[in-house]
Amino acid sequence: MSFLGRGGPSPAGGVNHERIEMAINEIDMVSDVFNRIVSSCHTKCISPRYAEGDLNKGESVCIDRCVAKFFEVNKKVGEKMQSAGASA
Amino acid sequence: MSSQNVDSAPKPSQVQKSGVRAAFEYTGIPPSWFDKRPKLPSRNWLIFLSVTTSIVAYYVYDRRECRRIRADYSSRVEHLAKEPLGTTDLPRKVIVYGAKWPGDEDHDKSLKFFRKYVKPIFVAAAVDYEMISGRRSGDLANRIADEIKTRRRIDAGVEPPSHSPVPLPNQPTLEQKRKRELEGGIVLVGRHTLKEFMSGLKRGWTESMDRVDREDMLAQELASDGRFDEPEEPVIDPEVVDGEPLPTRSRLLPSQNAVLFPLQMPSSSPTKSTQYTSNIPAHLDTPPSTIPTLPTLLLVPFTNYIGFRQVPNMLWGFFNERHKVRAGSEAAYSLIMSHVRPFAAANTASEIQESQLDGRQGGDLDFELPAESYYDGAYTPSETEKARKTYYDALPAKLATARALARGTRAPTKEEDSHPPPTEVELRAERLKKEMRWRGDEAGWETVKPGQLVQWDERFADALQVFDEPRADDVG
Repeated sequence: MSFLGRGGPSPAGGVNHERIEMAINEIDMVSDVFNRIVSSCHTKCISPRYAEGDLNKGESVCIDRCVAKFFEVNKKVGEKMQSAGASA
Repeated sequence: MSSQNVDSAPKPSQVQKSGVRAAFEYTGIPPSWFDKRPKLPSRNWLIFLSVTTSIVAYYVYDRRECRRIRADYSSRVEHLAKEPLGTTDLPRKVIVYGAKWPGDEDHDKSLKFFRKYVKPIFVAAAVDYEMISGRRSGDLANRIADEIKTRRRIDAGVEPPSHSPVPLPNQPTLEQKRKRELEGGIVLVGRHTLKEFMSGLKRGWTESMDRVDREDMLAQELASDGRFDEPEEPVIDPEVVDGEPLPTRSRLLPSQNAVLFPLQMPSSSPTKSTQYTSNIPAHLDTPPSTIPTLPTLLLVPFTNYIGFRQVPNMLWGFFNERHKVRAGSEAAYSLIMSHVRPFAAANTASEIQESQLDGRQGGDLDFELPAESYYDGAYTPSETEKARKTYYDALPAKLATARALARGTRAPTKEEDSHPPPTEVELRAERLKKEMRWRGDEAGWETVKPGQLVQWDERFADALQVFDEPRADDVG
């Protein structure tokens, strides 16, 4: 096991930390959205009885539409909240 | 003993009253009830009860039939939804077009019919669908014409096919996309949609493939119209007034070409995202003599009842939804089963002559012809004329106010301070919007009005097919 950065991190400038923070936050949000989509669309679209390993067509179409609707709603809610935050 | 018998003989006949009496005698029911004869309610009550019961029963019967029919068709196609689908494969996708019914403020009625009666079978069979609605009359025809012209430009090599900004690993090539479209299908809801679709198709394959920005062209046409000229100065150079995004038209340097007003930018920016040369070499621009096969069409019968006169039809429809369910499900089933036949159109010269007279064209072009009579008086050009007249009569006053305020020849009054009247730029933008709307309505009505023939071209005969009823030997 190599301990990278053992000699301490070499800051190339203070801005790096902010950017890293922002990137971490964005990854957090994206993975949060992803997890929500997976759990929500799984409960709605995939039947609990597994007949075979692959998804069948009904489930595929359902998941396509579920994800599309989720993103639409997510976007709309984000816009609403932005405008509410901007006005308030 | 005999006296005892005599004494005891009448007692059993007293005690053994009718079974009901014996059973309920001491339960607290009023004794007079046991002696009454059952009788029907009065004549009036009978009338009321029979009428109410029959209406409710008919409604219940109708809705149960609807459910049964839907379940029946769903069960016939369910097996398709249970087939496995690979992770990179896509399901079958159809495009649904629904134009605005003339006279109806709700443009969505055609697609509502689709969603209520056709979509459940698609969902049961795991067929994906994309719904495209025409917001105003003629919108759908314009949209289809534009799509066809884009396709022609891509095929001719004048325009590169659109690339998504993020390169994904599984992006289908253009051929794969077209193949998938062909396998899918097109659903047209109602005769008005068929008319708009065919009109757009004919325009797309007959006109030049130049990219045409309708707003831009209209703006240029309106600028040279002279409506915004000054009343006192005789000659105003239209180019000067046209290109200025600022109210003070004479202070700044005139721009050479007509620049789009900033207020129009958002609506036209998608088409202006990339600039292509608008002159296409003539040898490419000729309309092709054969048209590539289109995806198979599904014609869904649909009539929208609007207006006070149609209330009886609306009531009939409310109590007889099972017919619409059956029609919609049949249509969906025929699309899923994919029996295809060539589009049948009138070919002989005599039939074409006949069609000029009474609007009948024969074959598939007569699809749902009676439905046209239901929107016969929906739109008259005179109402646009009236609107135009009122608008243009009121325009010079507004223009004078705007100019006076902009040039500072007149101080704004208190009301004008609190609610500033529209500036000249806003007036121009408003005029453009209104003219687009009026002209669009007129053009749309021309396409759709009763008596107007469905646009047909000989090249279509090979390129169009229609979904037919599945034959009886189809096992579900």
